[in-house]
Amino acid sequence: MNLKKSFSIAFAVLMIASMLLVACQPQQIEVIKTVVVTEVVEKEGAQVVVTQIVEVTPEPVVVEQPVTLDWNFGTEPPTIDPALATDTTSVDVIHNLFVTLTQFDPVTGEVSPYLATSWENGEDADGSQTWTFHLRDDIPWVKYDPITGETTQVVDADGNPRFVTAFDVEYGAKRTIDPATASDYAYVDYIIKNAEAVNGGAEGVTLDDVGVKALDATTVQFTLQTPAAYFPAIAGMWVNAPQPSWAIDEWAEKWTEAGLINTSGPYVLEAWIHGGELNLVKNPLWVDADNVQIERVHGVMITEASTAFALYENNELDSTGVPLPEMDRVKADPELSQQYLNAPNPCTYYYGFTNNKPPFDDARVRKAFVESIDRQSLIDNVLKGGQVAATSFAPPGIFGAPEPGTVGLPYNPDDAKAQLQAYLDEKGITLADFNAMGITMMHNTSEGHAQIAAAIQQMWKDVLGVDVKVENQEWKVYLQTIKNSTPLEEMPHIWRLGWCADYPDENNWVHEVFNNQSGANRLRRGCVDATCTEVVPLKFDELTVQAQQEADPAKRADLYAEAERLLAAEEAAYAPIYHYTINSVTKPWLTRNFPPLGGVDFFNWKLDMAAKLAAQGK
Amino acid sequence: MAVAELPQEQTLVRKQRSLWEEAFIRLVRNKVSVASSIFIILLALAAIFANVLAPYDYAEQDLTQNNAVPRWMLPILPGNAANYARITTDYPLGADHLGRDILSRVLYGARVSLSFAVVASLISLLIGTLYGTISGYAGGRIDDLMMRIVDFLYAFPFLVVVILLQTYFKALGRASGMIGFGAKLLAFNDAMGGMLFLFVAIGLINWIGMARIARGQVLSYKRKEFVEAAHAVGASNSRIIIRHLLPNIIGPLIVAETLAIPGYIFTEAFLSFIGLGVNPPTPSWGIMISEAVPALRSYPNQVLVPAILLSLTTLAFNFMGDGLRDALDPRMKQ
Amino acid sequence: MTRYIIRRILGFIPVLIAIALFTFVLMRAIPGGPFDFAGDKSLPPQVVANIEAKYHLDWPMWKQFLSYMIGDDLLGEEGISRGVLRGDLGPSLRYRSQSVNDIIATTFPTSAQLGFLSLLLALMIGLPAGIIAALNQNTWLDYSSTFGAVLFLSIPNLVLAPILIWIFALKLGWLPVASWGAKPPYVLGFLPRLSQLNWDYVSHALMPVFALGTSSAAGIARLTRASLLQVIREDYIRTARAKGLRERVVVVVHALKNSLIPVVTVLGPAFAGLVTGTFVVEQIFGINGMGKHFVQSVGNRDYQVITGVTLVYGVILVIANLLVDITYAWLDPRIRYD
Repeated sequence: MNLKKSFSIAFAVLMIASMLLVACQPQQIEVIKTVVVTEVVEKEGAQVVVTQIVEVTPEPVVVEQPVTLDWNFGTEPPTIDPALATDTTSVDVIHNLFVTLTQFDPVTGEVSPYLATSWENGEDADGSQTWTFHLRDDIPWVKYDPITGETTQVVDADGNPRFVTAFDVEYGAKRTIDPATASDYAYVDYIIKNAEAVNGGAEGVTLDDVGVKALDATTVQFTLQTPAAYFPAIAGMWVNAPQPSWAIDEWAEKWTEAGLINTSGPYVLEAWIHGGELNLVKNPLWVDADNVQIERVHGVMITEASTAFALYENNELDSTGVPLPEMDRVKADPELSQQYLNAPNPCTYYYGFTNNKPPFDDARVRKAFVESIDRQSLIDNVLKGGQVAATSFAPPGIFGAPEPGTVGLPYNPDDAKAQLQAYLDEKGITLADFNAMGITMMHNTSEGHAQIAAAIQQMWKDVLGVDVKVENQEWKVYLQTIKNSTPLEEMPHIWRLGWCADYPDENNWVHEVFNNQSGANRLRRGCVDATCTEVVPLKFDELTVQAQQEADPAKRADLYAEAERLLAAEEAAYAPIYHYTINSVTKPWLTRNFPPLGGVDFFNWKLDMAAKLAAQGK
Repeated sequence: MAVAELPQEQTLVRKQRSLWEEAFIRLVRNKVSVASSIFIILLALAAIFANVLAPYDYAEQDLTQNNAVPRWMLPILPGNAANYARITTDYPLGADHLGRDILSRVLYGARVSLSFAVVASLISLLIGTLYGTISGYAGGRIDDLMMRIVDFLYAFPFLVVVILLQTYFKALGRASGMIGFGAKLLAFNDAMGGMLFLFVAIGLINWIGMARIARGQVLSYKRKEFVEAAHAVGASNSRIIIRHLLPNIIGPLIVAETLAIPGYIFTEAFLSFIGLGVNPPTPSWGIMISEAVPALRSYPNQVLVPAILLSLTTLAFNFMGDGLRDALDPRMKQ
Repeated sequence: MTRYIIRRILGFIPVLIAIALFTFVLMRAIPGGPFDFAGDKSLPPQVVANIEAKYHLDWPMWKQFLSYMIGDDLLGEEGISRGVLRGDLGPSLRYRSQSVNDIIATTFPTSAQLGFLSLLLALMIGLPAGIIAALNQNTWLDYSSTFGAVLFLSIPNLVLAPILIWIFALKLGWLPVASWGAKPPYVLGFLPRLSQLNWDYVSHALMPVFALGTSSAAGIARLTRASLLQVIREDYIRTARAKGLRERVVVVVHALKNSLIPVVTVLGPAFAGLVTGTFVVEQIFGINGMGKHFVQSVGNRDYQVITGVTLVYGVILVIANLLVDITYAWLDPRIRYD
């Protein structure tokens, strides 16, 4: 009996379901497009953001397929608010949505005009360095309407169209510095007068005291705490982009949602389905709109590299990275090998030594470990992406960076053995005693780092006869471990990290990363005590400060060359391994660039839509 | 159908053997189960004597031979593999991405994977059955409380616990000059190749599911006539549980446990990968599979070798489990 | 029974509070907070202080937990959250324009659809396979059912999913490589809109549902077989058979119902696990689900998201386990609570 009852219930459910389906058929035919609309409504006396679906009835005329780029952002951007962004995905989106004071030339990588057409430095009454930027006045603030699909210029309360002004720049920089904004990258602006004090909540200074001021609608002046020759690059960073105060005041943290956001760049935000898609459309009111060829960017967020590569092979992405394990196959494939390209990426992979932990407190040991790494073999057999063997820190293209291989310690197994032997002899110990010290290398948990570590572990074993224990930790735990406040006995002797350029100057490299006074000093150089509560500057540390304030480019370059040499060759405080490359494949119908400083600028790319549709069989 | 042909009369004949004795006799009569047991024993022997059998050391790497493939394996690779694959005669099953012999690594890997599978199963079977049986048998508020604890542990984010373990245990390991119990524990862990923490981690989590199954079974059996009868003649609770309930409920528990084995092997791989298990370059099947998956489309052979071994082993454990289940079933007498 | 259910539901409260409390505390015990670093760049202490102040991470732990549970306004502080008890799971620390409620509202429906379909598939394959195997014990049907089940069980999704993509998306070109067919917002918060239920939806769902469903199906099949074999020799089944009832009726009406207890036991947590998302499948198929988001949040130390997702999972789990216990009593009337 029970069985019969269950059957009849199941049958009834099926019937109802199918009736519902049928009932909805006519509706289904009419709807050709659904859009997501986010708006703010009054609810329970408070403003609440509501996202809802709007189904739009068909338009009578079929429009031609816009030139669409299919792109993988790789992950959901944590934010597209210029004041808050820290990661490359967010910065990539921001770069296409917002104009900045300066930009890096997509070919040469040099700082070049963008919103600012010219700039000059000077001194104010107190003798502080100032930088004055003269802006163009014809870049409109725009807004995209998801329902009509139209991009319109933003108007102010009186109905006047809004253009990007120096006041927006001042507001943007100050908003980043304001402690209430809680921006991670506020420290980038600490070079601006009083910014550090205000951001740190010091008494007696307010946002008004910060050294950024709009002199008029097209002139903005920055006053610096300490002189910096590279300031135009800092001024062009996303944290100092002009920001729309009126929109931020109105929508608070929701101002970056599609439909609410006001932007100033070559693209506007069409839709942002969190975690799923982020789509851009061309801004028709952009000053250089005629040269923006790609009309729409359909961006997905696929984290898994092999899935993204499968999408590419299936013509669902127009360009993507090549996963390392696929490299052999891509290079051998007649079609894929033609689409493959590796471009330099301004990043360096390195192994740091804990310079005050025995036996790595002796330069001979560190040299032995550096000189026994066969970087070229690692690149040819493990990394396979045409990376450049690094013997010093900053990669080519960074101001002041030495040519790879000219400075530092190359692969030299004989000298490595000799250095270690000299150490052993002096201490009167054997290799077995040395191994008994339990040399530990640590990296953060990742398949790629594990492979490199396994290869280098074997090189140390082969050349020096040293057994190194390799450990790994989850990323955030790892970052805590390798801080210089970790007790020495818990520190690994060797650890890995990488560094990428924020702006193309050596200051961003040797000074910010390794200077034991201003950087994190993870290498624990010049430490008086084990956990570096007191640190003495060494020759290297004096040089990078001197170079920071030097105005003459030639002298600066010399100072940096010497600093690089001291750190890599003389102290051998760390082991540079390689400079990164971007290994990517691009469909023949897409012409894209690889800016020397990384990032993606869709507005400079070209796409042959007819060829793409043909390949997709449409 | 097959069931109808069971010789029912025989169940009436009572021989004076204990349930457990009879179970053993039934077990050795099941041919598939015996064959599976032999396979597992052979595998265990291969693992124990890996140092004799393996042509290379598991850690020995020749970077210039990375991803090398023996000629006979070429047909498994994609069509254009001949263009990119490095052909070798030195490695019978090929070499991995760092130029390490795959055959040697699966042999050594069997050590970790097999011992982990066996120990993890036993621990979780033991704790889970005990906990679940007590909970189900006691019933009422005790059952409620014990099951709410299980709910709590179930919902508890495993990943968070694992990171905590990784942080604190390993930090202890690096801190030299440690004394007392911690130091002994670490020495013991090192002696076991880092596996002690694996067992601890797995022991902490995997009994939970087993406990719920055991409880469900006890709930359904504890009101049956033979249990009531045992009660009536004044049998103690522990005697009822061990002599009457356990043999009746153990079948699904064993099956669930044998099914969990691949899960254990991958848990081990995950734990090892994040540095909580065996230290690299020590291999295990789970680690080998995880390392080779990204290269699946270029070098499927690297995944295939450990994956086939894993499947065969799981299969053997399952057939052996089935045999055990049949043998322990007090109603299945022949 | 009603009293039992009420008692159980009251029992949820301490369990859920304990889950929230322990997750909350343990997350903060793990080294590395959400804001100490941007990438691997260590941030100046004043920058970290600003952000921590904004999210009240500078408060003592008890106060943070209290505000997490009952809301900031009741503590007389500036509000970032109205408290879990009033349905606000707080702001995300990583995705700074989104709240945890926003994130769960977008990720949970996708995971739930995927998990529900997988479970359906698992039952549709697993139950019949288990029954057939049991009724033909130790024949080739039984062995091949075991073989098939174990095969699918021992191929991890990590391997199966890329193989499926390779064959069905790239070689044959039948199915799309990745992503989920329906996009939010959803009907009733989790169902796809009817206008989305088309081939596009089905084709996107096929591979992930298959990958997830088959391993569960294998488990169900094996457990059904084992349990059915146990029950089939019970006295009352023999009685039914002796009464001359047809074999099929005996099995379906009498034996199967009783044998489902272990299967149902496993289904409870499996249901909770599947509908709240599985990391590997969501990651490989690029599906924006809760499982993937949870793992990423642990990496990002997004405390609020981790606690929120764990709570959602906890609620579904305790409800599923309650349903399991109620089902026990229905499957086997001898099971009584109190």
